[in-house]
Parts: sequence; C-alpha cells; structure tokens
Amino acid sequence: MNAYRDQYAQLFNGGKDVTLLAISTDAVGDLASWAKDAGYPFTFLSDTGGSVGRLYGAFNPAFRLDNRTLYVVGPDGTIVHRAAPFREVDPTAYTDLGAAVKKARGGQ
Amino acid sequence: MRIAALTLALGLVACGSMTAQAPLEVGSKAPDFTLPSATAAGVGKPVRLADLKGRTVVLAFFYKARTGG
Repeated sequence: MNAYRDQYAQLFNGGKDVTLLAISTDAVGDLASWAKDAGYPFTFLSDTGGSVGRLYGAFNPAFRLDNRTLYVVGPDGTIVHRAAPFREVDPTAYTDLGAAVKKARGGQ
Repeated sequence: MRIAALTLALGLVACGSMTAQAPLEVGSKAPDFTLPSATAAGVGKPVRLADLKGRTVVLAFFYKARTGG
C-alpha cells in the first residue's frame, strides 16, 4: 500500500477521475486506523466474509484472505486490465498499472 | 480406465472451482458490489461499484492491513 500512496499522483492521477479501492477481509475499523496511521489518500473496503473476493477470484479459502489481485475497471464498468497475481515487488507491475489507468481514462 | 481417469480429472476441476474461483477476464463486466468503506478520516459510508460509473476504478485486493507492499 505504501507504493500506491507514494505513486498516487503518477499511477492514479492523484484521484482525479480515478478511484482506488483497496479491498481486504479486515474489519472496517482496522482499515480506518491503518489508513490514518499511514496517511493513505485512498479508500479501503472491508470484505470480511470474502464474498467480493470470491466474486473476483481473489479469495484464498485456505487462509481466508484475498490474494494480491488487481483490476482496472473502465468508466463504462468493463474490466480493462487484470493482474492476478499483482507482483507488488516488480516495478513493471506498476508501469503496466499506470499505463492501463491512463488508457482507461482515454490517454489523457 | 480411461473413463475413470477422465471422471477423476473432472471431479478435481469441479472441486477446484468450488474452493477458489478463477479471476475475471479482461473485457467482461465488473460485477457490482457494495462494501463498508474506510479512509484516513475514519469509517465512511458503504461504497457501491455501480455508483462510480464514469470514473476509472482500480480494485486492489490485498492480504491484510499493516502488511508490506
């Protein structure tokens, strides 16, 4: 999440026309306190039962956690980019993500 | 024997799909959902994906709060 925070302007256009939703099975209060402590500029969603994780093929039933999985959804609601798994230590994963977001926004 | 092997293989595929669904395909419609939200300002209103139509939305699933990455 620190990489998303530190590259928020470049990857997510600083939140203009772009919404980043970080989703985990954590309780909503735990996500809020973490977001405050770390100064995250984006929104977290609490999927405690893992139902949305299952819907998106991210839920790992053995650990009851979501695997790192990333989707870019275009303005019309269509999935335009997927990284499953999202390789958070690989710099090219962020390059690909930034390019996909830019393309979804119409290359602006 | 061949049929038995095929039945076993199909059974394993069925079990696999029950425990972990495959990721969604690029080009498909993102399924709608509503979930409780949180920001640095505290616990917020529930967020519905369909309400964000017209914006580019990045869904980033991750393991657990207060872990690296």
